[in-house]
Amino acid sequence: MSLQYLKDAAAAGDPEKLIRYVRLHFGDGNEEAGRREIDKAWVEALKPLLDVPPTDREFILETIRTRDPATLAHLFFHLHFYLVQRSGEWIHDGNL
Amino acid sequence: MTETSDRGEGPPRVAQLRPGLWDTVNERYPGSMIDKADFVPLAPLRKPLSECRLAFVSTSGTQPRGSLPFDTVHPVGDYSFRRVPTTSRTDELEIHQLKYPTASANRDLNVIFPIDRLRELADEGVIGGLTENFYTFIGYNMDPERLERTLAEDIATAISEEGADIALAAPA
Repeated sequence: MSLQYLKDAAAAGDPEKLIRYVRLHFGDGNEEAGRREIDKAWVEALKPLLDVPPTDREFILETIRTRDPATLAHLFFHLHFYLVQRSGEWIHDGNL
Repeated sequence: MTETSDRGEGPPRVAQLRPGLWDTVNERYPGSMIDKADFVPLAPLRKPLSECRLAFVSTSGTQPRGSLPFDTVHPVGDYSFRRVPTTSRTDELEIHQLKYPTASANRDLNVIFPIDRLRELADEGVIGGLTENFYTFIGYNMDPERLERTLAEDIATAISEEGADIALAAPA
């Protein structure tokens, strides 16, 4: 998949091509593994909140309010890998 | 392998080793991003290897400890590079890259980034010397035009400024 392929898909409103790319990215070329990685990240995001501990909402809201969408999207990708690494199930061959 | 121009004027033109290289790549990886019709000439060695200063370029994601880690999470890639001083010890370096198995390289960095071996070749006189730095980046980049226009050009410029005669490029 080329970058132009992804841009064309975004312009055409074709989310399936885009999410497939994301799954391949997260799954190191294995789409099904990538799908599981996305689920894993959400599970890991849920776990620390089950006991409703205090969280820094001011930081969160300030970050969302003051940062540009690209930086926030980049942070979202970082958080995915942070959460799957935190799970202890690391499917990737390399290091962040 | 050289060709002289038909009229015998100007410097000899160096032949391209595999004119169909990009076609081969695209056959193997359908829908891949490579579409390049430019002439890519072979570069003949201008002097003996033992007199050549060598630059090493690696896509292994090797970098000095403490430097900004390569962006391994970005979905479109990281188009930056790192300078690795050729005097570095392997324990002063680390790898940031998700897309290839790094376990063996973490045990012995030389399997992917042969800094000790190249220093030995320089010490033994097999090659004339090394540039002050080696150059690294990560090989997961979805925008080949940006890769060529920025990263490749920047590294080529930096290597030229360090007086390299030859470059060894090793994909990870």
